[in-house]
Amino acid sequence: MKRILKDTCIIAALMIFSVFSISIIWSGITDEIGLVLKLFGLAFIISLANFLFDEYISLSIAVSYVIKYFAITGIVMLYGFIVGWFYPSNFWMAFIYVGVVLVLAYFIDSFKVKKDIAYINTQIAGRTNLAE
Amino acid sequence: MQIITRQVKDKPLKVIIEYPEYNESVKTLVHKISSMEMSFSAGVDGSKVKIGLSEVYYIENVERKLFIYTEKEVYRLDYSMPEIEAMTLDTGLVRISRTCIMNTDHLKEIRQVKNSRLEAVLDNGEIIIVSRKYLKDIKRIFQKG
Repeated sequence: MKRILKDTCIIAALMIFSVFSISIIWSGITDEIGLVLKLFGLAFIISLANFLFDEYISLSIAVSYVIKYFAITGIVMLYGFIVGWFYPSNFWMAFIYVGVVLVLAYFIDSFKVKKDIAYINTQIAGRTNLAE
Repeated sequence: MQIITRQVKDKPLKVIIEYPEYNESVKTLVHKISSMEMSFSAGVDGSKVKIGLSEVYYIENVERKLFIYTEKEVYRLDYSMPEIEAMTLDTGLVRISRTCIMNTDHLKEIRQVKNSRLEAVLDNGEIIIVSRKYLKDIKRIFQKG
């Protein structure tokens, strides 16, 4: 299932890329294409910030997600203001958007970490039994 | 898999691998056995010593200086982290944080402590911090077998 979802995302990205490439040549950057390009830009900045955070800061899962929540919300708000997504009246929506994504990411991350630890420890136990 | 060992006196150690077809498992096995010969030239008290790969517990970068930790000793290494990573590709050594490379052959347990931090317990009782980001790399080592 994980493989199918991963392939779906890759194919969707390739479809967006090919369809939009042809559209840009044909009719220039329309509002829809502009929005997708802006989303790609935001995703890149968030991924970069996330990479640097994980590389240089070692905290517990919960604390790191709280810090990421405020940092990413800040990035989204700033980026949103620059590209004109937010108006002074609705900028707080960024807290909700980022919050929903990060809560989901937190639960997936916690679950994956537990699963990976269990797998590694099982393999070590198997190796130890074999050696004995 | 069948493992046969026999003593042949006055001959160097020889390993023969028989396989029905050459696949990833055979390749990994050959690489693992070959890497047993690998050693690092490390410094201690002004002199140089050879440290075999199997003796290495972990390698740590402390203020841009590399140190190699064996069961009981610590030595200074004249390599950089990327050099070590390139040398130990496809061995049991894996990066576990920005500053540390661990030998999974000496790993006894990975555990999540109260505040969700990850720790690796080694078979000499030493505990080192694991960054969550590198957990999947440790898992990959065990998946390869």
